[in-house]
Amino acid sequence: MTGLDSAQDVVVIGGGVTGAGLARDLALRGVSVLLLEGGDWAAGTSGASSWMIHGGPRYLEYDWDTTRQSCEDAGHIVRIARHLIHRCVFLLPVLPGDKLGIERLETAMEVYDRFQPLKDSHPHVRLSGAEARLLEPGLSPRVVAAVTMEEWGVDPHRLAWANVLDAVRAGARALNHSRVEALLRDGATVIGVRYRSADGQRVEARAKAVVNAAGPWAPEVAAMAAAAVSLRPAKGVHIVYDRRLSNFAISAEAVDGREVVLVPHGPITLLGTTDDDYYGDLEALEVLPDEVDYLVQAAERTFPDIRRHRPARATAGVRPTLFQWRPNEDRLSRRFEVFDHEKSDGVPGLFTIAGGKLSMYRLMAEVTADAVCSRLGIEAGCATAERPLPGAGGLAQQPHELAADHGISALAAARLLKRHGSEASEVLEDDRRGRLVCRCEALTEAELAYSARREQVRTLADAFRRVGLAAGPCAGTACVDRAAQVIGEQLGWNQSQRRDACREYLVGAWRCRAPVLDRWGWAQEELAYGARRGWPGGH
Amino acid sequence: MGRRSSLVRLGWAYARHQLRRRFRGPLPAHAQDVLNTYAEDRLQPLTLSERGQLPAISRCVNCGLCALVVKRVGGVRLADLPAAYLRDYTQLAAAATDLEGGDPGTHALLSAAAVCPVSVPLAEVAAAVRRLGAS
Repeated sequence: MTGLDSAQDVVVIGGGVTGAGLARDLALRGVSVLLLEGGDWAAGTSGASSWMIHGGPRYLEYDWDTTRQSCEDAGHIVRIARHLIHRCVFLLPVLPGDKLGIERLETAMEVYDRFQPLKDSHPHVRLSGAEARLLEPGLSPRVVAAVTMEEWGVDPHRLAWANVLDAVRAGARALNHSRVEALLRDGATVIGVRYRSADGQRVEARAKAVVNAAGPWAPEVAAMAAAAVSLRPAKGVHIVYDRRLSNFAISAEAVDGREVVLVPHGPITLLGTTDDDYYGDLEALEVLPDEVDYLVQAAERTFPDIRRHRPARATAGVRPTLFQWRPNEDRLSRRFEVFDHEKSDGVPGLFTIAGGKLSMYRLMAEVTADAVCSRLGIEAGCATAERPLPGAGGLAQQPHELAADHGISALAAARLLKRHGSEASEVLEDDRRGRLVCRCEALTEAELAYSARREQVRTLADAFRRVGLAAGPCAGTACVDRAAQVIGEQLGWNQSQRRDACREYLVGAWRCRAPVLDRWGWAQEELAYGARRGWPGGH
Repeated sequence: MGRRSSLVRLGWAYARHQLRRRFRGPLPAHAQDVLNTYAEDRLQPLTLSERGQLPAISRCVNCGLCALVVKRVGGVRLADLPAAYLRDYTQLAAAATDLEGGDPGTHALLSAAAVCPVSVPLAEVAAAVRRLGAS
């Protein structure tokens, strides 16, 4: 049976950071919006990115406009998401035989310095090998020189959620775990969508325009209306280490001359990325041992003790790069394009936004919203470049003050402030829940309960994305049972549902951990297995 | 702007760079200059010894056995030092108040380390956390 939802101006399909940013942009222009995400917010390409808001100096070799646009928009994001971002200072080391010698590398940085003020960043500094090792004692003794370079880091899960939240506050409706199954049509015209909601019901939603922001799934969505989007999807794998391995982000040259980066983001470090054409099933992405070996081999040349560190998991995502014939993956442009399918395929009412990268999500949303509003005859302008995201406006407390006010540890307060900014104290409205539920992430029961109550957390994996549950070295061993209780109390789960939630999370997490487990990872698995040996149905 | 134009501009920049290098030489830069620039971001480097211990610290499986021997360092459960506090050491200054108070002493920490099934060097962990928290 299919229910009929209310009609709106625009339905946006896809809750990655671009779709979320688009819903926000449209809602702030006064457009009525329904945002639909088949899984969870930023659970696809956005979440599996390198977590960087960067200008991309390597694009200087191909396309300065992309670098300029990217830096300009990164500047906007830095201003509107102040609490979510952190400075990533790179050391770009040079070893004998590297593709770029120090002079060419410094030249590129001198050029890039012209763009750095656009995103509130400092110019580069050139260092000798010895000075670089003073900054980062883990660097190889073979490093002969280095330059610094600044970018910004962000947790894409929180960035996407902040956009969803702001869209909702501006009047949009946003539903995760709501998968679009068909586009509704009147003749050739797209007039809405049919989706399966989180509770399993089929619902129809009418709209004047439907925007396909489904990332690598965009061709599949467009095909529902016999429209075409040509992408050249590229798979990107990252290894996630359980802690900060270095103060500075470090670049390294891989065996094929590509650049990979080791980037600390708060309490984790990402090593990535691979970049390979992908023809497989988007729902069955796997991290392959070869990809792990490739990344570790590259990092080891510059950061020799990388193999002694403990990987916690790996991520895989697919970049929705615009189709181009011939260039190898690394040289594909990161341009984006808005398709009005009335012009390209004779399908009025359907738009697709594809290509681009995380750093440009706000600009991509703005350009798409301009196109949609122009078609709908709406004249309101974009407000997303200046309006702070939730938590970024107003003054945030200091960690020790928040800790003292609510009886939590200062570390828990610092993490909370990073996620919620000036709205952190609202999260702690229930002071009885100051106890830590995830000790590795210093996550309080109050924040977890809040995420279920107010942040659309419906599964433990959603909580991993929203508040970092089980993101640390214990990988959930010590916390998922209690976490299921806390979330279950909010969502009305019975004992059996709590067990199922734990099992589902641990099995999913295992798929991400299996490709990178070392002996200490196996010790962790043993502990987890032992703790759950008595469970009905095993684990 | 296409690839050809990008390469021409980079080529021009390279020529200017080489000329500058020839007539002015490299501008001196030191690690301390970089640290001063990023003081607000708290990118204090680990010592060589701390750096060397980091892989062993990341072995912690948060089993909690060590906390049976030494409950707390300051206000923090001992097992949380490697599993939580020494994960993002740039944040330790913000969490310094958690570490105020009782110091169990090296002997007790060595006893706790002795029961650790994955040999996390807990005395060194406590020392590093205190140093970075105070810096």
